[in-house]
Amino acid sequence: MEIIIKDVIGPRCIIKEDGQKIYKKIHEPLTKAETVTLDFDGVAQFASPFFNFAIGQLLKDVEEKDLRRLLRIENLNETGKLVVERVIENAARYHGDVDYRKIVDDILEQQAKESE
Amino acid sequence: MPQKVIYIPRINDSPADFAELFRIWDKVNDYFEDVKFDFSQCRFLRPNAVAFLGGLARLIESRIGTAVFDWNTLHDAAVMTNLSQNGFAGYFGHTSSCWAGNSIPYREDKVRDVNGIMDYLEIYWLGQGWVQVSPRLRDAIVGHVWEIYNNAFEHSGSEIGVFSCGQHFPGYNELLLSVVDFGQGIPAKVRNFLSSDPRAEQLTAAGCLRWAFQRGTTTKPKEEPGGLGLDLLKEFVQVNQGKLEVYSNEGYALIDKDGELFTNITTSFEGTVFHIILRCDENLYRFADEKNGNIPF
Repeated sequence: MEIIIKDVIGPRCIIKEDGQKIYKKIHEPLTKAETVTLDFDGVAQFASPFFNFAIGQLLKDVEEKDLRRLLRIENLNETGKLVVERVIENAARYHGDVDYRKIVDDILEQQAKESE
Repeated sequence: MPQKVIYIPRINDSPADFAELFRIWDKVNDYFEDVKFDFSQCRFLRPNAVAFLGGLARLIESRIGTAVFDWNTLHDAAVMTNLSQNGFAGYFGHTSSCWAGNSIPYREDKVRDVNGIMDYLEIYWLGQGWVQVSPRLRDAIVGHVWEIYNNAFEHSGSEIGVFSCGQHFPGYNELLLSVVDFGQGIPAKVRNFLSSDPRAEQLTAAGCLRWAFQRGTTTKPKEEPGGLGLDLLKEFVQVNQGKLEVYSNEGYALIDKDGELFTNITTSFEGTVFHIILRCDENLYRFADEKNGNIPF
């Protein structure tokens, strides 16, 4: 499967609703181990909500190594590469299970230090 | 209820100036307020004040009150020129209409107008030929600044929307943008999200802002991925040697090339201000992935 992103979304990939559109198209093929190509030619602007939904969500059902093998991303500019890589790293690390108790612990410890 | 007269002082963009804005908010933060804003003492007004006062007027109106900017009291020609040029005066009853200049137009977005906001950033903020910026850098900047708007519309719960104003500083190749909402504020949202953990009550507003700027934290439901927008923005500002200040409830965050500072402030308001200064010098700018090598795709 190949998707020309500009034809489906336009030149701005920045909102979650557009990310969800792409996710719906590629989720099933990827879970069936089919190769998917996303071509970003002509797309210039990127933000995290788009990639969180288009690709971050995939990590719930597809292993990171499989995603990197099956999903081909072409003609993505530097900003897009930065955002998508961060999204994958984030989603793969946490799988939605961020250790919020530890983060609260760390911040409370920091607060205590600052008040000394 | 008798009409309240609020005298707008000279307002720059230091923490003391923001405190002045929050004191004004506190004076009119109620229903059925009848407010007249008087400019007779105003000799200078930065875009943060313009965005804040415009939003405040809409907040008063949304609470079954009235807000009037008394243009007859505005005697300072520079302030009048600025407020006419950026369109603020035209929004609030003056007959002038905006024109191109160093001020970037005042803007109100009651709902999320994606292309309207992106065009505003691209055309009015960056695209007037006054900053030396390549298409690549332009797209990177507007994408990252969009995270501010996305954050406001996704998380603030502001019923009256989001208010923006900006400025270009000739000679410095710097752009300033203030984005204001009158929603619940980031600390309130974080505390509410963490309410199942009793220790979260001990988090100060500064602690909540620190939490919000951490990579991977989000107040969205567990099934929704998120938690990167503020982190990416923070990184972008630092790479660009720019400056980002966030005022939200009784918390203050400062992000710049020297690091990050989260602290508590005594004069607060219900809502959030993002105040960002970006340098548009292509020579300073380095894309993060250029520093770290290519990603494997």
